[in-house]
Amino acid sequence: MIDVLLVLLVFFVMITSAEVLKVDKNLTLPVSPNAKKREPEMAKHEMAVNLRYDASTNKGVLVMDDRVYTDWQEVVPILSESKKRDPKLRIVVRGDAAVPAGEIQRAMNLIGEAGIADIAFASSNK
Amino acid sequence: MKKKRSHKRKHSSEVHLGFQIAPMIDVVFVILLFFIVQAGDIQVENSHVTQLPGRVESAEPVELPDEVSIVVEDDGQVYLNEEPMDEPASKNLPQLASTLNGLREAADATKTKVLVTIYANELARYERVVDVLDALTRAQINNVTFQAGAPE
Repeated sequence: MIDVLLVLLVFFVMITSAEVLKVDKNLTLPVSPNAKKREPEMAKHEMAVNLRYDASTNKGVLVMDDRVYTDWQEVVPILSESKKRDPKLRIVVRGDAAVPAGEIQRAMNLIGEAGIADIAFASSNK
Repeated sequence: MKKKRSHKRKHSSEVHLGFQIAPMIDVVFVILLFFIVQAGDIQVENSHVTQLPGRVESAEPVELPDEVSIVVEDDGQVYLNEEPMDEPASKNLPQLASTLNGLREAADATKTKVLVTIYANELARYERVVDVLDALTRAQINNVTFQAGAPE
């Protein structure tokens, strides 16, 4: 009995901790039920660029590794440096659902400037 | 009159100090319930993988297939090759998905590929762009690019 309980416990601990970690509480991802699951083999090549929504200015706030960038151009050397270190790098754009598409395009321009073509748009399943 | 209580106590050597399984099961059960409840509303993060246009050099000449353009307006109205598709409030975009699916099937029959370019207006909501990407995934179209926005 206790063995079974412990196994169940470990199972639920695993599935909750694995999925909750990456979710940034400050932004609401757009819902897309048909988006593909993350490929586990690409997980270590992924780097997240978060775009929070600032309702007062109707602009996006760029956050990378918990640092807020006011000058978005600062991100370009960091991204190209990461690209040099890992040629298979994929940038995951985690944009808030309310962010204007123009802001996403600005972020995509930066990613393009850094020489990265492989990007993914994060979305949640519900 | 004082009672002597000492005689009621067990002698220390008589107390059973073995491992108590029953309280442990209780605790494990509570922790288990906590995680089961947590697991119910997990948000799984998925992604739409695409390639940015114009930055990758190819060694071989690439034959460009027919291009399909999708425009997303500020109010959420979606146009496929300048034809309005679905209502701005319709999140699932059924008309767009079925039209794209038809296009993809026609392209498959002629062994070509459908190349879709998304032109999103500056003030269109990003959520709407993801709705379009979702419809494209449903129509099994993988060649999606974005309009290369002019740098500010």
